[in-house]
Amino acid sequence: MIGKTSDLFDQGTPGHLNVARWAASASVGHYDELRGKVISNAADKTASLSQDWRDFFTHLGEEGLNDLNRKTESLARQIKDNGITYNVYADAGGPQRPWSLDLFPMIMPTNDWLDIEKGVLQRVRLMEHIMADVYGAQSLLTSGMLPSALVHGHPGYLRSMHGVAPVGGNHLHIVAFDLARGADGRWWVVSQRTQAPSGLGYLLENRLSISRLFPQPFEQMKVQHLAATYRALMDGIKSMSPAGAQAHIALLTPGPYNETYFEHVYLARYLGLTLVQGSDLTVRDQRLYLRTLEKLEPIHGLIKRVDDAWIDPLELRPDSTLGVPGLLQAIRAGNVLVVNAPGSGFLESSALLGFLPALSKKIYGETLHLPAVPTWWCGERAAMQEALAQMDRCVIKPSYGQSPYYPDFNPVLGNALSRKSMDEWAGRILREGDAYTLQTATPLSQMPTWVSNLENPGIMPRSMMLRVFAMSDGSHSWRVLPGGLARLVTSPGGVASMQGGGSSADVWVRTSGEVDRTTLLTPQLTPAMVEHRKRLITSRAAENMYWLGRYSERAENTLRLVQLTLESLNGEDPSSVNLLNWLQGMAENNAIVPAGAPSPLQSRRVFERALLGCLMDVKQASSLGFNLQFIKNTASAVRERLSQEQWRLTIRAEKDFLDSCALFHKNGDYSFAYALRVLETTSGYLAAMTGAQVDRMTRDDGWKLLIIGRLTERLDYLSKALSLAFACDSVNEPGSFEALLVLFDSTITFHAHYQQSRDLVALLELLVLNPENPRSLRWVTDSLRSQIQELTREGDHPEMLTKQWLPDLSPYKLESLCHKNQPLPALLDLLEHCHASASKISDEISLRFFTHSQAKQQDPF
Amino acid sequence: MKLRVTHHTHYAYTPAVETAQHLACLKPVDSTCQAVLSHSLRIEPAPSQQIEQRDVFKNEQLFFSLQSPHETLDVISQSTIETFVPPTYPSTIAWETVREQFRYKAGSDYEPANEFVFPSPYVKRHEDFASYARTSFPKGMSLLQAAQDLMHRIYADFTYESHSTEINTPALEALATRKGVCQDFAHIMIACLRSMGMPARYVSGYLLTHPAPGKERLIGSDASHAWVSVYLPDLPGASEGSGWWDLDPTNNKDGWGSPGEDYIRLAFGRDFSDVSPIRGVIHGGAKHTLTVAVTVEPIAEESGQ
Repeated sequence: MIGKTSDLFDQGTPGHLNVARWAASASVGHYDELRGKVISNAADKTASLSQDWRDFFTHLGEEGLNDLNRKTESLARQIKDNGITYNVYADAGGPQRPWSLDLFPMIMPTNDWLDIEKGVLQRVRLMEHIMADVYGAQSLLTSGMLPSALVHGHPGYLRSMHGVAPVGGNHLHIVAFDLARGADGRWWVVSQRTQAPSGLGYLLENRLSISRLFPQPFEQMKVQHLAATYRALMDGIKSMSPAGAQAHIALLTPGPYNETYFEHVYLARYLGLTLVQGSDLTVRDQRLYLRTLEKLEPIHGLIKRVDDAWIDPLELRPDSTLGVPGLLQAIRAGNVLVVNAPGSGFLESSALLGFLPALSKKIYGETLHLPAVPTWWCGERAAMQEALAQMDRCVIKPSYGQSPYYPDFNPVLGNALSRKSMDEWAGRILREGDAYTLQTATPLSQMPTWVSNLENPGIMPRSMMLRVFAMSDGSHSWRVLPGGLARLVTSPGGVASMQGGGSSADVWVRTSGEVDRTTLLTPQLTPAMVEHRKRLITSRAAENMYWLGRYSERAENTLRLVQLTLESLNGEDPSSVNLLNWLQGMAENNAIVPAGAPSPLQSRRVFERALLGCLMDVKQASSLGFNLQFIKNTASAVRERLSQEQWRLTIRAEKDFLDSCALFHKNGDYSFAYALRVLETTSGYLAAMTGAQVDRMTRDDGWKLLIIGRLTERLDYLSKALSLAFACDSVNEPGSFEALLVLFDSTITFHAHYQQSRDLVALLELLVLNPENPRSLRWVTDSLRSQIQELTREGDHPEMLTKQWLPDLSPYKLESLCHKNQPLPALLDLLEHCHASASKISDEISLRFFTHSQAKQQDPF
Repeated sequence: MKLRVTHHTHYAYTPAVETAQHLACLKPVDSTCQAVLSHSLRIEPAPSQQIEQRDVFKNEQLFFSLQSPHETLDVISQSTIETFVPPTYPSTIAWETVREQFRYKAGSDYEPANEFVFPSPYVKRHEDFASYARTSFPKGMSLLQAAQDLMHRIYADFTYESHSTEINTPALEALATRKGVCQDFAHIMIACLRSMGMPARYVSGYLLTHPAPGKERLIGSDASHAWVSVYLPDLPGASEGSGWWDLDPTNNKDGWGSPGEDYIRLAFGRDFSDVSPIRGVIHGGAKHTLTVAVTVEPIAEESGQ
């Protein structure tokens, strides 16, 4: 069935006929998206293509078809380059997996889409009605239309939201529906997500990648664009929020360890939202604010990607660090619009699906246009009996999802169970029926995917589920995003889940009308808004920027010190005692050798081994590897502020170094030559990162803090290095003198100015008092002063901070610092002052500007 | 009986707490067995903001926040309450009838008490609760008798041991060790009742204790108390909220609306999590110590002052 690509289009025959003969069909009993029909016998397997796929291949043309392998490669590269990832496990050590996207889109026939659209709109309106009733009159409960167990018994029902009418009128703004096309060719609802549905970012990225690869078919087939719906959502949210069009809307993420963090960043950027974590926000007087460097900034709307239970530790889960204490008060007071209103979790229960048809009849007198897969909630005895009788044709699901006090389990396919385990499940259901919901297992439709294999390229069918989104565009008004996220099952008999390792596909909805070319990329911003946005730096971002700066500088300093030490130990000239003493002091001071390591004076080799061991020990808090990891972590927390290139450098620098360390430990190669090579490579990365920091970033307050971080670190390091040099009396020897210049990265400047001189006075001029050398204390303190003073903050005066804590080097004269090549006490005092001021400045900055976000729960009583 | 309750909560923090938000549930409300004569709440340092509201069960709640650094926090609640002897009523409804009444059937009538049949954060479902409970629920027994029997059994089988459990001890663990404090006994009894399909709720409050003969009442030696209510649908006015029979498994006392005249009700909910007297989120204050002093004392009837 599979042939060479060149066979696809024979001379003179319409290509799609060949594709039909050539592409593997869906399995018997499944709907074949490529052919637009259910495969029920052998003849169906080579049936001609559906009109939509005929159009696709026709517009793709022979050339395009022959190009599919290359397109696949290009897609993989794009995903890698854009850093689109899905974190498999939600923790720090978990692997990041590249997002998996298939080359072919899922093409949605126009008529099917009209049905879906109509059905989804009807369902979202019904769900909104249920929300309003459950948190209001509860007439659906009192009339027995809705079981109390599925509301009051559901952990997603939030008592603290009872009686609250959400600002703007809507409880639900974004609802995701998971649909499957059954063997009858119809679309069925399988489940719905309301708390924090994911996919809206990934599907945009999918669209961007796939439409770019198939420009012809995309344009010619009149695929509906997506931007207009996102814009309608944003306009709707703003207009319903307490501040109207001027509303400041933020996206609340659980943070970088969440499995879909990538799309939070992406979506925030695309929609022009401020990406925030719980600790960025605070509630004062029932109003929600963003902590920024400058002041508390009002927030009027919050799109949350944090599940309800975690959003307010004061009233909900007390152990949550992802939320904002007091948020529910702000919501109840009507001061912030939250997408979606907290408390919708019970709507996600599969069990509810069985009750919706009757509710729709009762409330609207309407039959549901889009049916749900037959569903039985076993909390009702009659339904349980019916369901138990057909367990082998059902999926067993937990009624309460991820619940702390009901059984929680992954859905189980009845027909995959042995007789014995089937009986065990039946026993559980009989004992505790309300916790179980049974749903008819539907054979999923299968869509064509391109298998890029050089030997045997081909089109293979894959089972697919479709996630579509309803979005509000105003009070009690919704539209359906004309597209979605197709999720493909990779393993036979598996379920469609991104966490389980599935793949995804773009979804093309064709329109018979005009393609809506609205774009979000032409922002309707006023100059005032632009000015405002520019200043907005969250305290958390500021803190991370500061530490990013400090650790970048520290990594460079550490690296240079290790290099210098290795070279001095292995140099041709025997190094002097004073130099070795100084290097040992520096090594201990910067913790690049373990405490108690023998002096290089006793044994250079032992000292070197200790140094190398420490260098390659990534768990050691002062090691280079640890620094690089820390840089990566802080950078990932402010990733939205860094260029793609800068982020890539950060990742590579860390990975390369860690790989080298692993190799070092594996081979036991303790040669200093190997270490120097590794350091050389890392040094290149660090230089590039520094370049990007200094030259490629906007000079806002966040950037200023990064630079302040760098300068503070430099002040600390250089003042200490000089003090030590004098203490070891190592300045008066040629070798040590040169070493000091190397460490201060000032060798070339020095010799350009003073040729072969080795006078202390020249050294001090360059390293202490020179206002233009970026490694002189004068330059560092001057720059630090001006950067700090430029920080804007309401009701605070940063100049007080610098006046009080930062020494001013401008009045100092060389003659007061040294005499006849000997340092004077004033110099040593000055160095001491500089060193103390570095740590004081750091404390003060942290106290004034950063979040202090470590909120904790207090014992209840 | 007129009673005065003083409930003093003291937190000491090191280092100082920078900002804090708290939620207090310390104000009693009127009920069939008690009338609140006066109530005051003093918070030091004075909060920068406070808001009163009623929760979904109509308990009084107070939110307060502190925006400046503080090393201690004192919350002193003082109430005077008139309590009444709970009335008695011969409830006869069989437990199976109640179970059937709260089992969902499409279109069946709904009662608000339904909310208290389901598991909740501190009262998870477990077969062990059901097997402990079953002995008290023979066929055809009235729910009131069954609940009283269950209360007697917990009173007899369990050892009261202060500090034997933390607030976060799962009821299941307390059931296994047969040890605990009032809160554990309440949670265990609720779990048992719910495992049989009975609506049961958690009541927080105070109990007047009697000093040993010849001893003075020790100020602050009392503690918050907790007990259980079970829903008896055949009590008069049950559908208007009067259907709750209170049982105290710690002291083996029960009555309609209150276990006795010496009880003061503060709040009720599904379990402790709905009614904890004070909870809070603080910034700063890495370490803190908590001292709670409760005094319940009778007020002499206008003793000629």
